[in-house]
Amino acid sequence: MTKEGVQGATEEEEQQQAQSKKGLKKQQKEAEKAAKKAEKQAKLAAEQQSTEEDDFAKDRYGVAAMVQSQQKLGKQCFLVLRQQQFNVQALVAVGDRASKQMVKFAANITKESIVDVEAMVRKVEQKIESCSQQDVELHIERIFVISQSEARLPLQLEDAVRPDGEGEEEGRATVNQDTKLDNRVIDLRTTTSQAIFRLQSGVCQLFRDTLTNKGFVEIQTPKIISAASEGGANVFTVSYFKTSAYLAQSPQLYKQMCICADFDKVFCVGPVFRAEDSNTHRHLTEFVGLDIEMAFNYHYHEVIDSITDTMVQIFKGLRDNFQTEIQTVNKQFPSEPFKFLEPTLRLEYTEALAMLHEAGVEMGDEDDLSTPNEKLLGRLVKEKYDTDFYVLDKYPLAVRPFYTMPDPNNPKYSNSYDMFMRGEEILSGAQRVHDAQLLTERAIHHQIDLEKIKAYIDSFRYGAPPHGGGGIGLERVCMLYLGLHNVRQTSMFPRDPKRLTP
Amino acid sequence: MPMYQVKPICGAHAETDLPTCMYKLPNIHAQKGNSCTPEHALQNGEVDPAVKALEARQDEIMRKLHELKAAVEGLAKTVTTPDADLDLTVSSSLSESASSTTFKGVTDLDTVLGKDLGALRDIVISANPAQPPLSLLVLHSLLCQRYRVLSTVHVHSSVNGVPPQLLSCLGPRHADSYARQMFQLGFTLIWKDVPKLQMKFSVQNMCPIEGEANVARFLFKLLAPYPSDPALATMVDSWVDTAFFQLAEGSTKERSTVLRALNSALGRNPWLAGQEFSLADIACYCCVLQSGSASAAPANVQRWIKSCENLGHFSPAKLLLQ
Repeated sequence: MTKEGVQGATEEEEQQQAQSKKGLKKQQKEAEKAAKKAEKQAKLAAEQQSTEEDDFAKDRYGVAAMVQSQQKLGKQCFLVLRQQQFNVQALVAVGDRASKQMVKFAANITKESIVDVEAMVRKVEQKIESCSQQDVELHIERIFVISQSEARLPLQLEDAVRPDGEGEEEGRATVNQDTKLDNRVIDLRTTTSQAIFRLQSGVCQLFRDTLTNKGFVEIQTPKIISAASEGGANVFTVSYFKTSAYLAQSPQLYKQMCICADFDKVFCVGPVFRAEDSNTHRHLTEFVGLDIEMAFNYHYHEVIDSITDTMVQIFKGLRDNFQTEIQTVNKQFPSEPFKFLEPTLRLEYTEALAMLHEAGVEMGDEDDLSTPNEKLLGRLVKEKYDTDFYVLDKYPLAVRPFYTMPDPNNPKYSNSYDMFMRGEEILSGAQRVHDAQLLTERAIHHQIDLEKIKAYIDSFRYGAPPHGGGGIGLERVCMLYLGLHNVRQTSMFPRDPKRLTP
Repeated sequence: MPMYQVKPICGAHAETDLPTCMYKLPNIHAQKGNSCTPEHALQNGEVDPAVKALEARQDEIMRKLHELKAAVEGLAKTVTTPDADLDLTVSSSLSESASSTTFKGVTDLDTVLGKDLGALRDIVISANPAQPPLSLLVLHSLLCQRYRVLSTVHVHSSVNGVPPQLLSCLGPRHADSYARQMFQLGFTLIWKDVPKLQMKFSVQNMCPIEGEANVARFLFKLLAPYPSDPALATMVDSWVDTAFFQLAEGSTKERSTVLRALNSALGRNPWLAGQEFSLADIACYCCVLQSGSASAAPANVQRWIKSCENLGHFSPAKLLLQ
């Protein structure tokens, strides 16, 4: 533990005195602390407090907390110490353990510095509203600065956490998104950001666990590829020795090749690069894609059922294990809790058209859904079925890519589906054409240069099972689950057409 | 070395079709044309009298069978009256053919539910798993006999889990359930934490319908219209209300009053609303069963309960209560 002796002689004396009586003091302190801890724990058990408070008591020694703020009142100095999502009030008061100089020292510690404290945990009579630990405070006996922060911070954390409405009402500042993103290191320290990214980690974890339990194999696909898979316009080009290569827009081609390589069910988690010049609230140029592909036995609905069941397990896991994080985010960004049905609701495209017709929207049978129509449909479905998550099946063939399998019973439609959360699309998937001959015909129909996709078509020539799949964007799913309004809030260091750093 | 070289006269590789079949005979099993007259001519053009006699006997047997079927159907009608104490398995198989005659009058889905827009017409019912709506399950099985119904059960995220019999209460999944368009009606049951049962059908044109009694009336009208006699219709309605308000939710005193009223009504008529089985019977039966007062009911009511069970429509409700 590094100690910064800022005070000078007085401090040294204190230290020496403390060390000579150290043994006795330590025993005394430990006994007192143990008694206090037992008392506190008994009280906690009786009041059924959350488990974080217990953990915090155990971690009292060698805690490396950040000083969030301090306030000096004469002979006392109040500090707020923060560790990830939780903060606690701490007090340095002139007494037999602390001198005036120590109080002054504590008052002068710059915000966001890292400190080591030894303190007694004491119950308070009045609840401390401003901290997450509301019924105890620390009475500091020793405090050391481990890493000092610069005096002038580019943004204040209280402002960054303040909800937008409150800021306008009371005339206090809130931080706008660009400033937050420019100083991401500080912005990520806020309780809200901590909660969001812990939840995102949970989503990834649940995705992996659910799929592994279903017998899926995780694969890693290459991101530097030789030919643009989805369409030429939206790829990033990188120089590759003497030629150039592209950054993968999606792992689709390689997922399908794995299925042809007899892996039966695969998934992969990795970055996806889309060079779309869209400056919207839900587009990034680089995001994390969670992709699934599986072979099926009788009907492509097996694929839909697998994917929706995975999503439902993720939602259930978040609902049951991440309530603290969800509540923390809701404090700054209030939203409705996410609702879903099990098994997931599946509507057909014709039903969606009928619902939209009823609501007064004129659309042709083979038209694609525009974004406002998708949102309206989401609201109608929410109204009728009370769910924020549903699948729309049997899209018209004309609006889907060339590798989508047409519906055998009705050539106008295809075996493809989209999934929506809160009225916004999160997954676009389909049964893929697994026959090289049919694939060639579809490609010709869509006027795609066969030379460019020769490798893709060749992979189906040596026996390929019928398969299907889809991919979701991790950031978008988190954003929609929490009811946030901008995908940059759920991306740690977001990339968009205007932002390349940090 | 050859002396002369002559060009081949005929082609060297002439392909000849070697036949595989030695003799060809006409198919003796094939039908001769589409004539309905069973005149089977022999090879010399005459009709064998023996064949004619055989045909006459066959016709006679068919006629007798038809008569028998009509007689059985007539018997089935009498079987579905309260005085029978037949075995449940026998009457349930009869009831399937008798269901179309259970309710007089026909409803057309288009007139009741509005023009068919080419998509599945989905009825969405949100119910609390603590109070399963038995009468709606009974009506669902009646609807399934009448129309092609796609039934699905969902569990809402507000509920942590439901017992397995609530998940399978609408019966096994239909084989064609992947093609929603092929069904005339959709019946979606969502187990949700709602204070009162709610039904939604057409969000734009209809407000949500609340309360099991009202939803039961709606579903019943899809099966058969209410009796045209207003007095009878009102009586059916009042029995439905009695069932849901006093039997299901009332105190023990109210329940015993209702049971006595049921007893006196059933003393006069085989069914609650007169000679025909109606929604009143469905509602009262389900509420009696749910309130648990079936065993303590008076004699007429017990007899009426048995005859309801004989109809076979109430098996889903009974299964759920087990």
